Amino acid sequence: MLQIALKDLKLFLKDIKAFILVMILPIALVTLFTLAYGGMGSSSGDSSPIAIAASDLDSTSTSISTMQKIDSLKGLKLKHMDIGSAKNRVINGSETAVLVFYKGFQDSVDKGADPPMELFFDRSQEMEVNILQQALIGNLTGILGSKNMENKVHTMIDKQYADLDESTRKMIHSQVSEGFKGNDEEFSSSPEAALKMTGLVGEEKTNWGMLQAVAGVAVMMLLFSVAGMSGTILSEREEGTLKRLLYSPIHPNSILFSKMIYAMFVAIIQLIILFIFSWLVFDLDILTNPLGLIIMIVTTAFACTSFGIFLASISQTRKQAESLSTIVILIMSAIGGSMIPTFIMPSFMQKISVASVNYWSIQGFFDIFGRNMATVKILPEAGMLLLIGGIMTGISLFRFRKHVLKVV
Amino acid sequence: MINAKAIHKRFGTVKALKGIDLDIKEGELYGLLGPNGAGKTTTINILSTLLKPDNGSVFINGLDILKNPVSSKKNIGIVPQEVALYEDLSALDNLLFWGGLYGNPASQIRSRANEMLRLFGLSDRRNDTIKKYSGGMKRRINIASALLHNPKVLFMDEPTVGIDPQSRNKIYEVIGQLHSNGLTIIYTTHYMEEVEKLCERVGIIDYGEIIAEGTVEELRNRSNTTSIINVALENPGNANLKDLQKSFETVEVDQNNQLVFRCKDSDKKLSGIVKYMDQHNLMISSIDVKKASLENIFLELTGRKLRD
Repeated sequence: MLQIALKDLKLFLKDIKAFILVMILPIALVTLFTLAYGGMGSSSGDSSPIAIAASDLDSTSTSISTMQKIDSLKGLKLKHMDIGSAKNRVINGSETAVLVFYKGFQDSVDKGADPPMELFFDRSQEMEVNILQQALIGNLTGILGSKNMENKVHTMIDKQYADLDESTRKMIHSQVSEGFKGNDEEFSSSPEAALKMTGLVGEEKTNWGMLQAVAGVAVMMLLFSVAGMSGTILSEREEGTLKRLLYSPIHPNSILFSKMIYAMFVAIIQLIILFIFSWLVFDLDILTNPLGLIIMIVTTAFACTSFGIFLASISQTRKQAESLSTIVILIMSAIGGSMIPTFIMPSFMQKISVASVNYWSIQGFFDIFGRNMATVKILPEAGMLLLIGGIMTGISLFRFRKHVLKVV
Repeated sequence: MINAKAIHKRFGTVKALKGIDLDIKEGELYGLLGPNGAGKTTTINILSTLLKPDNGSVFINGLDILKNPVSSKKNIGIVPQEVALYEDLSALDNLLFWGGLYGNPASQIRSRANEMLRLFGLSDRRNDTIKKYSGGMKRRINIASALLHNPKVLFMDEPTVGIDPQSRNKIYEVIGQLHSNGLTIIYTTHYMEEVEKLCERVGIIDYGEIIAEGTVEELRNRSNTTSIINVALENPGNANLKDLQKSFETVEVDQNNQLVFRCKDSDKKLSGIVKYMDQHNLMISSIDVKKASLENIFLELTGRKLRD
């Protein structure tokens, strides 16, 4: 029994590549998830703040100092711009939200009234906006709450003790103000700082969690299935049928393209079935932009297929391709937003995520189902998928001609 | 039909082919023999356009295959050494697929596929998946798959390896039939008896060179061994091999303790053997005279057994 186990262990250790993959996969994933989840609220100081646009229409000392205080918070970063361009950036997906302080902000604070402010946001970034809203309200109440309360105490003193002489009144006001200094937290229960929340893009009825799950999982599973299908070219080499295909008059490149056509066809069918299922079971409105959906399905299928072919082209055997696919697809899916929403990742990971198929596909499906974008607006995502697919296909062709198709 | 001149091929520092010349006529069944690593498969791969030679020229049916590889491929059918079929497809589907790669009309391919199934005796199993077939049946479909586009030349690379006698005989029968229909066949094998039985002409390749070529009879006549005389003795213990070898250079003792004499002229040698035995009081229990086989000729030419 031990002899057989030792033999198997010896065989396993002989396949150095498989051994490294088996060992690297868990390490890579643990590192990735640690980095991703450490992206917010980390005490290490490496966490990336949520960046939002800000527009101060009041431009008073109170509004400016409030903006500065928010900007100095650890988890938030404000990008100042005019309200028009900020709203446009939210609509086209460049910004998650814009915080606006309206004219009369200072006056309201001084009077102890609700300060006019509003957070315009992208509904497709529902999870991020929820976290943002909590963070903003918590901090705004801290910043404005004490000022608001202080003003209320001054008003009450003036009303209750109207007959006080001016110097005594000033002294009391001064002592009250002194008492409020540095005590923001004690007065942070003020509800007045509640923000007006306005979704600029996307439908309120959209279930963003469901959409994130559907789009994210769809792309990830598609990558797994097409990687398996693309790997059949390696099986054909191992079984001798590739050699036989090369004996025939068809061009060697056609063999590769035929594998792509097959994988792409299955990928398209897989996506269609998944969206129909989501429509029937989760009430996803797949008819909101049929043309855009077709474009996204086809370009996603193309990019995933190219990626699968690329993985097969850099592998020597089917077994190796399977191991490599598992590790690469899991990592790419984690980075690209299939497993974890990209906003909670550190900024460097968010930058890397744009190199993944998952990121552009998910964004494209968000544009269609969540943001209700016109077809023309999803062309950048579709274009990026075509670009990634084109590059992968080019590399795969080169690799196949040079390595895989050399069966003699 | 096939004219190859001075084909050279090198893999790194290894010279796989060192100037192969082949001239195979239309309708000829040519056997290419050689031990492993001799250059048989490299030659077949070059003739079938899968591999480009470093030097030399190859014409098949008057077409330069190096300049016209795609057109040339339509003239060529190849039966690979391994069974190269899709196990989960039926025999008919395999045949339709492989035949379809040559651009012929679907109706023609289907009719040819049915014809092939009949020829190989597998019509009643046409819809069974290949994985349900025996090794011999798979080999038959493997050959049939190379014939669907009506090639002018058929390369067969060890088509009968590891199969049952029934399938082997069926394959011999079909090869004979294809040959009689005028198909040019190049046949490589380890089985000498196949070459002797099937091939009109044989080329023996070793270390990347054709070291002998001709009909089996021509090779035998060119060889120092045309006959093998087996002598069984009643008292083999009395025989002195060293003394025997002084008198007869090419004598050895086989595993049955019989004396084996290789010779060019069996009649002359036979009388010498009988005389020697008589002089040395060795009692002959039996004498058997056979023509030298291709195996013997091969051994003499290459110094190696074919399966080395």
